[in-house]
Amino acid sequence: MSAGGGSGGAHSAIPQNNIIAFGVIGGLAGIYGAHFLVDMISPYMSFLGALGAICGIVWGASAVRRVANYGLGTGVPSIGMLALGIGIIATTFGLAVGGIAGPVVALIFAALIGLVVGVLANKVLNMGIPIMVQSMIEIAAAGAIAIVGLSTSMIGTFMFFDEVVNGVVVAQGVATGVMTTGYIAVIFIAGGLAILHPYNANLGPDEKQDRTLACAFEKGAIAMIIAGIVATITPLASGAITILIGVAIWYISFSKYYKLVKRDAYMISGAGLLPSKEELE
Amino acid sequence: MEPLTSMGILALMGAAATIAGASEDLESDVGSQSNPNSQVQLAPQMMYPHRIYNKAVSGEPPSNALMCAIGGTTASVLMSTGASVMLALTIGSIIAAVIHGTYSVTSYIGRTASQKRFKQPLYLDLIRTHTPVIMGYAFITTFCILVVSYLMITAMAHPFPLPLLAFIWGIAVGAIGSSTGDVHYGAEREFQNVEFGSGLNAANSGNIVRKAESGLRNGIDNSWFCSKFGGPVTGIAFGMVVFLTGWITVVFDPSISETMGWEAIIAGAVIVLLLAIWNRKIEVDARKAYGPYKKDEEEVAA
Repeated sequence: MSAGGGSGGAHSAIPQNNIIAFGVIGGLAGIYGAHFLVDMISPYMSFLGALGAICGIVWGASAVRRVANYGLGTGVPSIGMLALGIGIIATTFGLAVGGIAGPVVALIFAALIGLVVGVLANKVLNMGIPIMVQSMIEIAAAGAIAIVGLSTSMIGTFMFFDEVVNGVVVAQGVATGVMTTGYIAVIFIAGGLAILHPYNANLGPDEKQDRTLACAFEKGAIAMIIAGIVATITPLASGAITILIGVAIWYISFSKYYKLVKRDAYMISGAGLLPSKEELE
Repeated sequence: MEPLTSMGILALMGAAATIAGASEDLESDVGSQSNPNSQVQLAPQMMYPHRIYNKAVSGEPPSNALMCAIGGTTASVLMSTGASVMLALTIGSIIAAVIHGTYSVTSYIGRTASQKRFKQPLYLDLIRTHTPVIMGYAFITTFCILVVSYLMITAMAHPFPLPLLAFIWGIAVGAIGSSTGDVHYGAEREFQNVEFGSGLNAANSGNIVRKAESGLRNGIDNSWFCSKFGGPVTGIAFGMVVFLTGWITVVFDPSISETMGWEAIIAGAVIVLLLAIWNRKIEVDARKAYGPYKKDEEEVAA
């Protein structure tokens, strides 16, 4: 049904390969940047992790847009939740076994789970969406980047276990700092909605790529602000800069989004009646 | 804990949950979220442009989970800095409501802009009037869910942290609002112009009621209608879920002995069974009283 997007692939001004590169390189650069620069410069650098997460979120939103354009309709929210579900499993596994290579292991592991889910969806459930397998890999990997990025931004490191020197915990790891405290719940849902909401909010036959991606930046900025709120109470991450940059990105991307809505809408009216019969014909 | 004290806490939790359920349903009705949304989304395509707020922040469970998780996270951050509980829960709910407001606005303006070819106008006064209402209901829902979660952790020694518990209760309240309250808005309010109980004929798809008692119908009219029955019934449903799930373990406390734990499970199963039988009876009685398509059958017979 065209109310759920036209079938036969989305029109994109920016090719998906560029967005994949943006998501993977930007995401990993942000995560590693935050991890090392927090040690070398100051906890203020933890905001880089959230910037990496925004790169992953934009990538994920773009992948959701491509696959959901085949008429997924009400399946759009489900696919976003699926992405973060895979992302959580991959992140826990990747960070626990990967050490310093943790984010990369998480990314690869998420892509593998995404591959299995994509093949199952197409071959067993017979969904028959041509780009299903590639999109599931992308969405799962983007979800993993969003989770690792937001976690790093919250506690200043992506190490899974606490760093213990002489029996004293000197730095909290993701396991105790993010998962035991329950903040993983807000990462899951804020990251998940940031990935699924942009396409869901712009659902319709006249959806445009730039508008959807502007919304993805805006929702990513909200996730960044929340990560900043949590970072205010963790010793190795600083929340103030993260919140400030998050608010700035939110403002810029929301203004851009509203500008694009004004460009695309049929008519913007302060108040008023419905279009007349003649107008509709 | 004293059984009487835990019963009191449970009653408080049930009351908070009832308010949360009612406000959750009304919040989704103002923005026509969840199931009724498909017809609101479809209407312009069938040449029925409307003045109804089209807010689709995914389904109700994820969007309420987001509000409650944000509220729980902010509150837990504030409480760990030593802020008072009341202040922490309030500020957490305010931040959650504001963020929910941004989600609502982006989905209304985005979806409307994506319906350009169906000539659906974007009404700015709808944003100005509806978004504060949505945020107000979102605040009440989040606050009540946080109260339930906080009581569970401090008074009932639940092992989960606040953000996670709030997240889970957020999904629960969204799921109940979606299954209980939506029926009232979707089937009865959007299609008041067709005969009661006639189902949704394909020819009526998208032909939702767009005119109100005076002027054009909007989301606030819909929440007014739903506040008469759909909202309160959602509140009672969610309050019962919270109260009865807690009640079985308060009366049969598993921490006293293992036998008590099994008795709690049996009590839960009995409650589910009783409610299932009762619901079945209501359904059969309703069908007898109103009857599906009686007229059609007579015509076929004749």
